[in-house]
Amino acid sequence: MSAPPLPPSFSLTAYLLVSVILGFFFGFFLERAGFSSARKLTAQFYFKDFAVLKVMFTAIVVAMLGIAYFALLGWLDMSQIFVTPTFIGPQLAGGLLLGAGFIVGGY
Amino acid sequence: MTSDAKVIPLIAKPLTGEQAAAMAQHAIKKHHVAIMLLHWFNATVWLLQLATGAALIRSPYFRVVPYWYIRTVRGMFGTKANMLRFHITLGVVWIAVFAVYGIFGYRTYLVRQVLQREIRLDRDDLLWLKTRVLNLLKRASHSLPPQGIYNAGQKLFALSVYTMIPIVMITGVVMSFRLISTTAVQWAMVLHFVAVGFVVSGLMIHVYMGAVFPEEKPAFFSMITGMVNELYAYRHHFKWWREVKMQEEAWEEKLGYAAKRPIPAVAAVAIETEQPPEVAISQSIGTHKASLGYRIFRAPTYWPPYVAGAGLGFTLLATFLLIGQGLGASGAFARSVGALVAWIAPSYAAHSASWSIYAASGQSPLINFVVFEMLGVLAGGFVSGWLAGRLKLTTEKGPHISARKRHVLALAGGVLTGLGARLARGCTSGLALSGGAVLSVGGFIFMLAVFGAGFAGAYLTRRYWL
Repeated sequence: MSAPPLPPSFSLTAYLLVSVILGFFFGFFLERAGFSSARKLTAQFYFKDFAVLKVMFTAIVVAMLGIAYFALLGWLDMSQIFVTPTFIGPQLAGGLLLGAGFIVGGY
Repeated sequence: MTSDAKVIPLIAKPLTGEQAAAMAQHAIKKHHVAIMLLHWFNATVWLLQLATGAALIRSPYFRVVPYWYIRTVRGMFGTKANMLRFHITLGVVWIAVFAVYGIFGYRTYLVRQVLQREIRLDRDDLLWLKTRVLNLLKRASHSLPPQGIYNAGQKLFALSVYTMIPIVMITGVVMSFRLISTTAVQWAMVLHFVAVGFVVSGLMIHVYMGAVFPEEKPAFFSMITGMVNELYAYRHHFKWWREVKMQEEAWEEKLGYAAKRPIPAVAAVAIETEQPPEVAISQSIGTHKASLGYRIFRAPTYWPPYVAGAGLGFTLLATFLLIGQGLGASGAFARSVGALVAWIAPSYAAHSASWSIYAASGQSPLINFVVFEMLGVLAGGFVSGWLAGRLKLTTEKGPHISARKRHVLALAGGVLTGLGARLARGCTSGLALSGGAVLSVGGFIFMLAVFGAGFAGAYLTRRYWL
């Protein structure tokens, strides 16, 4: 994962502090959604609890729309956003491995 | 059920309100999990193949979609050749899966499921079709004859699908690998197109009935849960209902009268509501605990998924705005190991293809967004669990495996997950979630692979979780 250069307005301390705060909310919402429970996570594969898919796609759609609107209003330079590069073969294989690990290990 | 209902009726009689209510509560099994998996696999394949197939047809004689659609879909794959390769690969996978079912489950799926239940039209079915058509034309309003597990309309659809699918498969193979002769390939193109057209015309009704038509809602959910309620079975598939009842009665006789009904009913309803008993208790006691703040932060229930998802989405959005990249997780572990390697063997790390990238800027790989974000994740998760009273030291496992086995499996799963995440350059957070939000093709491919492998393999790991 190649990190983009620090936003010029941030000092290193501020950047790391913001990272921790963002992480805090990330962890908080994940736990609130029940993602700390392996049984809840794996329940989707037995068609019993689709919380994982619901949470994930809600998050994706919210962030996606947010980014689109910010870019539309000119508040965000899309070229500064890091888009994870595509490597079809490795990502397909990696996904299959991770999916297998998911149902065996639970996370 | 009242005692006089013990005698299984030969024809569907009107039910009393009490009987209907009891039957609505009682679920019976309609689909085996292997059938449900095949159904959704097939549905996904059809969706993707129709989407890419439509974009492959450029000829003005056959073209079914506007040019902008063709450009968009081809753009997603980069080139037409890539899209064609995708279409062919998926088609081959599709044929392989059906072949596995057909060969290894010859008796179960091909003979019992398809030939005997899904496509054989009996006298009642023909009468059903005739009555249905007359009723639709307003020439009559007769009640419909009783139906088996699938009604005659469904059987007609199945019949057309099972006739057309082999044609689609064979012509697809002929076209893809240019078999036999040029003439054969040309004919294959036309037949492929026509056969798909037949299926699609039936598919429209199938999807409409399943997803929109209110009376068929239980049929739709039965494809997800495997269950339908008894009332629906009684009203719409009486002959099948009768079959199930006869089997139940035979079992009851075998087991003796005492071991009666409650087992299937409970098993069916216990879906979705897996909550610890404390929840119910805390909800029933004291009003002082019912304040909004308490319910949001201190109640031991999880948040509704859409609420937690929105919170997660706003966090992700803020991350993109402030940091310029999305949230991640596996990167933090990779960087930690990178730092460790650089500390122990600095010259090796500087020249290793996989570890040198972390030290490229001359700064420690740990001075990075994802590492500090991960520290925040630990804190955030801890605080959330602590507020809700969910903190405890325990081994979370399915009811039928030992804690020791669960630990070994967790390690094994972790190894697979770690390998997968490094191979794909990201995990469910960094690649699927963050990549998905910026419409990264790789993110979506990864996501499909993760859930594909999960759903496909879940049957093999069911003993660990159920």
